[in-house]
Amino acid sequence: MPIWIRGLPIDVRGRTKGVFMLKNHYVQRFLQSWKIFIENPLGKTGVIILFVFMVMALASFVVPHINPMYDPMIGIDPNISISTGPSLTHWLGTDNVGRDLFAQLLEGAKVAFIVGLSSAFFSIVLGMVIGMISGYAGGTLDTFLMRTADIIMVLPSLVILLILSSLFGQFNIWIIVFIIAIMRWPAVSRVIRSQTLSLKHRPFIEASKVAGASHLRIIFRHIMPNVLPLAFLYMTFRVTSAILVEAALSFLGFGDPSQVSWGMMLQWVWKSGNMFHAPYWLLPPGISISLLTLAFYLLGRAMDEVLDPRLRKEGRA
Amino acid sequence: MNMVKNSSLIQMKGVTKEYIPRKWFFSKDQSRVVALNEVDLSIKKGEIFGLVGQSGSGKTTLGRLLVRLEEPTSGSISLKGSLINTLKGPSLKDFRSKVQMIFQDPYQSLNPHLSIAQTIGEPLVVQGIGNTRQRRSKVLHTLEIVGLSPGQDFYDRYPHQLSGGQRQRVAIARAIVLEPEFIVADEPTSMLDATIAIQLFTLLLQIRETFNMTILFITHNLAAANYLCDRIGVIHEGCIVEVNTAKKIIGDPVHPYTKKLIRVQPCFDFNRG
Repeated sequence: MPIWIRGLPIDVRGRTKGVFMLKNHYVQRFLQSWKIFIENPLGKTGVIILFVFMVMALASFVVPHINPMYDPMIGIDPNISISTGPSLTHWLGTDNVGRDLFAQLLEGAKVAFIVGLSSAFFSIVLGMVIGMISGYAGGTLDTFLMRTADIIMVLPSLVILLILSSLFGQFNIWIIVFIIAIMRWPAVSRVIRSQTLSLKHRPFIEASKVAGASHLRIIFRHIMPNVLPLAFLYMTFRVTSAILVEAALSFLGFGDPSQVSWGMMLQWVWKSGNMFHAPYWLLPPGISISLLTLAFYLLGRAMDEVLDPRLRKEGRA
Repeated sequence: MNMVKNSSLIQMKGVTKEYIPRKWFFSKDQSRVVALNEVDLSIKKGEIFGLVGQSGSGKTTLGRLLVRLEEPTSGSISLKGSLINTLKGPSLKDFRSKVQMIFQDPYQSLNPHLSIAQTIGEPLVVQGIGNTRQRRSKVLHTLEIVGLSPGQDFYDRYPHQLSGGQRQRVAIARAIVLEPEFIVADEPTSMLDATIAIQLFTLLLQIRETFNMTILFITHNLAAANYLCDRIGVIHEGCIVEVNTAKKIIGDPVHPYTKKLIRVQPCFDFNRG
């Protein structure tokens, strides 16, 4: 006789049941979280803005194929030699050498995603591993790692990046991503460490120890799944800061000159002297930076509510 | 009851456990907490030994020392004549396969992110026993033994889908899946209601019969100890004050603390047999 769980029939003794339950568990958990997430006005706004930028980033792959002059870096409109305002062929106008600004904006969205997500990912992985090891090991190792984290945390990352890039010349975009990641792990590792400290003495960890599990196994099998949601939450905040740092760096002229990004667009509008008479060039990248960082911030806030039910308002699911 | 009653499996000699508070600047007084004070105890092979005491008496600490979750400050503990204090590496891992523990709170002792199969199978994986298929059948078999049957139904579930009693059965399954020689059961029923507790006692007795396991049953409930155990030790403020057969402890207590414990027992209706 089939029993019904949430409208889905499950055969009690069926062979497929195991697989079904496994999938069901994760799917259900995800759907539940997603519902809370999307019903939250902050989360909804964040997702919508993010979706728009994602479409833009994807469009950046298509645009150069429509017409080679729409290539954000090397495509030049042969008829134009100074910066012009919006027109039918160039929706946002062109820069001072005749490159299409809309194409650059799309490319900038792609780069912002790449920089933001990859540096956030690196810093999260680094912060999570260090935090778990530090919290689990305790003692001297803990002290050493946490003091290192403290030192890095109080270093001004933008100044460090400026000094490094003036020392070694202009950086490739991936080196910038990597340096941002190195500068940003400590806050994550502090949070993960405190979570690990509370998990460390839970009986299920001790049970695993009694069974003879190694430290590595305990850390990655038992502690990691329990701290992962928190790490993802912090990832959204890291994305925000990575995008901002990269934009600031580019605007100051220390970005990757072979890579269009929103910060780079701002740098070009300033360097070419169009700052005050080309608002169609100045505003779009500026607004995009603000909106995208806002979107990730909202996402993080909404995720916070999913993870911590105490933050949810009364009367909402 | 058992043929090998005389050979002792666990031997504790002069075991002391102290907790020294972390030293801070300017703090001069070293107020140490003595959890166990010069404890001598031997547990015979095949028996269920009850350790009874109030909270804070050191009974849990004693259990944790026996499974080497903690190290004694001084004294020696041996399993079948060989010292366990100094075990390291492979010999420690080997020791882990012989001694297991059942924890008090079934809501805390199962990792919410692992399925029942993963939880019970973990000791097998860690100890490198069998291949995937063999482990699967072993886990299913163990599920049946602890009364979660049919095992197929529970195999892929997660702890949050089970009741407290079922969770504790899973915890028991995890403890017996390696077929250890000795199990420390640290108040396994104190979080569960009485009817489920009695089912679990029956299960423990049955496991002792099938596997000829030795069990240290830690409890604050003298009635439960009387129901389940062959011998009972009463622990008070880190000292074992009286050890005797269950019948003698209940019927003819010697130490004043034991007498007091019996006096405060709310009811004594389930006598053995």
